[in-house]
Amino acid sequence: MLQDFSFDIQPGDKVIVSGRSGIGKTTLFRLLLGFEKPDNGAIYFENQMLDETTVWKLRRRVAYVSQDLNIGRGNLQAFFNETLSIKANLQYKNDSLNGLNGLLDYFNLPETLLQKNIEELSGGERQRVAIINALLLKRTIFFLDEITSALDKSLKSKVLDYFLLNPDFTVLSISHDNYLPANATIKTLKLD
Amino acid sequence: MNGAQDLSLFSMIMCGILLLVPLLGVWYLKLDIARNLLVSTLRMAVQLILVGFFLQFVFRYNNWLLNLVWFLTMIAVAAFSVIKNSNLKLHHFVGPVSLSFILSNFFVVLYFNYFIVNLNFILDAKYMIAIGGMVLGNSLRANIVGLGDFYQSIRKDEQLYFYKLSLGATRFEALLHFAKKSFLAAMNPTIANMTTMGIVSLPGMMTGQILGGSVPLVAIKYQIAIMIAILASTVLSISLCLFFTVGKSFDKYGILHKTIFRNNP
Repeated sequence: MLQDFSFDIQPGDKVIVSGRSGIGKTTLFRLLLGFEKPDNGAIYFENQMLDETTVWKLRRRVAYVSQDLNIGRGNLQAFFNETLSIKANLQYKNDSLNGLNGLLDYFNLPETLLQKNIEELSGGERQRVAIINALLLKRTIFFLDEITSALDKSLKSKVLDYFLLNPDFTVLSISHDNYLPANATIKTLKLD
Repeated sequence: MNGAQDLSLFSMIMCGILLLVPLLGVWYLKLDIARNLLVSTLRMAVQLILVGFFLQFVFRYNNWLLNLVWFLTMIAVAAFSVIKNSNLKLHHFVGPVSLSFILSNFFVVLYFNYFIVNLNFILDAKYMIAIGGMVLGNSLRANIVGLGDFYQSIRKDEQLYFYKLSLGATRFEALLHFAKKSFLAAMNPTIANMTTMGIVSLPGMMTGQILGGSVPLVAIKYQIAIMIAILASTVLSISLCLFFTVGKSFDKYGILHKTIFRNNP
């Protein structure tokens, strides 16, 4: 899995990772986040080799949306508050909470959802909650792992537009969608 | 104080006859545990007889060093039992768990003996070993639940743990959710037990004291004090256990070492 493999991403790039299932797309993200370690080779982030010190810096700079929707339990408002109470995110707490309703609205979620428990949400709702939670972090680098798999067509394009058309965002995305915004510059990373 | 009435040899034989009831039940229901039942009963009897003789000796001499050594032995056995029953590897956990048990139980028992019972000799065998045994026994049960649940739920819910790390959480912040859950699991039985105490069950300590000749009102005061001591040692020992074991159980990337489990899949 993932042998003789090298690539680099520049700020502002939008990269779609593709390849058949089982090829190691998710493993690539796990390697980048330091949840797995490569047997050989190295990963560099902002010109520093990823190691036991820099990995923590990367986790504070990158927003990751996993395809696994095990994001927690309990009240949704409390869930967002908890994310923003993490020391690394505390500085954005007020600003992000002020923008929360706008994000809910953009991703077609009612404000009343905030009173519900995560366990009560559908797969599609949970997926959008994970996306919003990543956006609340006010980061500009995104690792997105199949973030539209549980969404219908119109929502899919809305989500992908949001990330792929923002010139400030650097995006590495695993996606099986055929839809791509017409005026976006997309690079493809094909694993085989 | 007049002690409880002694049980004669005849009494113990009558007690053996009472054992026929569970044995007959087992035989009638064709349960395959008759041998186990007999071996366990015999083992319990031998163990208690040996401990009985030993405690007679310990209580008679009431020497601080001997009391201390015996209490440390009890703690070591408790630490082994917690690790074994939590499905964790002994060599990895024996140091930190023993240290946590020593610190928390010594603190609580010495506090109890000095500030609550107002003993002049705080290492007195009768108090240190009896009170220590109760505190230790209960915090042992709580730690099997607490420590086991903590590490098993991180292994089971690793995606959730990774998710928290990916949000920028420090290892401590990411583990807090799991620690809270384990604390609840560990403390709930003690709290539930406290709410029905005296009505549904007469606690062992009170029973012992009443049989030993104490008036119920004295027994009750001791019971209240011991329950609070148990809660204190439970919270202290679980906190210390987690605090001392976490450093060794995760790598520098914040990933849990799977080698800490005995049944490493």
